[in-house]
Amino acid sequence: MNAPRRPAALPALADTIGDTWMRFWFTPAGPWPLALVRLLGGLVAVALWTSYAWDLETWFGPAGMISPELLAAWRSPFAASLFDVATSPTALWLGYIAGGLLLLSLTIGLATPVTAPLGAVAFTTLLHRGPMLAGPADDVAAVILWCVAIGRAGDALSVDRLVGAWRGRAAPGATQRTRIALGLIRVHAAVIAAAAVLAQLKGDVWWNGTAAWWLAARADSRLVDLTGAFLASEYLLNLVTHAIVAFEILFAAGLWFPVTRRVVVPLGIVAWPLVGVLAGEPLWGLALAVLAVGCLPTRVQSPV
Amino acid sequence: MADHTPPPPPLETVRAGLTVALGLYLVGLLLCVAGNSASGGSALVRTIHGKLFSPWMTPAWLDLGYDTRLTHAAPEDGDHWFEIRRLDAPAAETIVLPGPTFRGERAARWRRLARATAVNEADPDRESLLPAAVGAGAFVPWNSHDLSLAVMRHLPPDRGDVLVGQADVVGRDEEAYAARVRLVDGEVQLIEATAPVELAPLVKDPAP
Repeated sequence: MNAPRRPAALPALADTIGDTWMRFWFTPAGPWPLALVRLLGGLVAVALWTSYAWDLETWFGPAGMISPELLAAWRSPFAASLFDVATSPTALWLGYIAGGLLLLSLTIGLATPVTAPLGAVAFTTLLHRGPMLAGPADDVAAVILWCVAIGRAGDALSVDRLVGAWRGRAAPGATQRTRIALGLIRVHAAVIAAAAVLAQLKGDVWWNGTAAWWLAARADSRLVDLTGAFLASEYLLNLVTHAIVAFEILFAAGLWFPVTRRVVVPLGIVAWPLVGVLAGEPLWGLALAVLAVGCLPTRVQSPV
Repeated sequence: MADHTPPPPPLETVRAGLTVALGLYLVGLLLCVAGNSASGGSALVRTIHGKLFSPWMTPAWLDLGYDTRLTHAAPEDGDHWFEIRRLDAPAAETIVLPGPTFRGERAARWRRLARATAVNEADPDRESLLPAAVGAGAFVPWNSHDLSLAVMRHLPPDRGDVLVGQADVVGRDEEAYAARVRLVDGEVQLIEATAPVELAPLVKDPAP
């Protein structure tokens, strides 16, 4: 008696999915794209960190606006901040300066295996000290810092590498850790773009083509005044609005196919900062462009 | 019969562990996006996400919805700011936050704080928390224990109204929230300003 035969398609599909998964997450990747993400993402994180400096005591000081009592009622029970224990201005400033130095060290690639995870912890702990002050750029920067901490981000374009070369060490090669970090960057780039476009399309203005007007007409937060151009041409206004949505959809989907990735990654590096400028969130646009940099093909090698 | 299958090499074991960890994280990421949407998540998503993923994704600032809508042309999408005035010194000038010299992300953080102050007044769990805290935090820098705190917002004009001359391209400002915040016997008191309510006229009892 013959044993029942299993359909061959299912195991083949499972093998294909398994192979794709293994290739995506575990094919060793060269150091350059993640090193670029570390350098550019570090600059964005430093800019975001610096923006707290002027009002640090007004917000987080002993008599500050965002008091521990407010946080106890406001934050998730799982949230905590190292700055919660900084109960004097001196402790607050020491913690703030130490965190800033960590992020600077990470940016230049100094002691990266240590400064990368500590920089991510410092950044997120400051966000938890005042969650109502955090914006979309902070959210993306946190993702970048954690991905940088997972991979070997100091293997290129770093002080660590310069010191290694000076001591005669060979340049580090491709690693699986870096591949996992780059894989996570690509997943987050797609998810963040998809979530943004889904949120936007809940509003009528993104369908009737007038959303760009409402962004441009915000007198305080806008960086460029396009109201004159949008008043002169409704088609231009519609075009800009629809182009933002189309770009976000293309970016989220196009990252997953090698052919389209060659187009959407350079497009993302240029277009995200432009969307950020129009939306009055330039650092958000830059942070998303940094995520796009992390999606560059790993065979792109720097001549340096 | 004894199984002679050789033990998996260490690299395969590490990859298997990483595969489980990555799969778990991706599920968590999707549930965080679904559970933190401005539209609200389902009870099922909220429960799974809240019990299994929030405890370890929240501390890393990864329990997020990433739903950056940019604008829906709603009043809360306009720029917000604070106007703080000393009530014990009527001649003192009104302080505006963010001030005219504030730039970039610094100004954006003040606008977010002002917006959160106004918007969360509709949330029963967070009502009055921020206005009282912001007002109390203003006591020391502005050297007063009796302040008027207002959150203003800018309402951009409709493009069509500008084209037909019914609105100015500058738009208009409105008060989104206002309260008096004072310190009495060491306690912060918040007295919210209420909008004038239209009252029905008294109906006189018709004479017999």
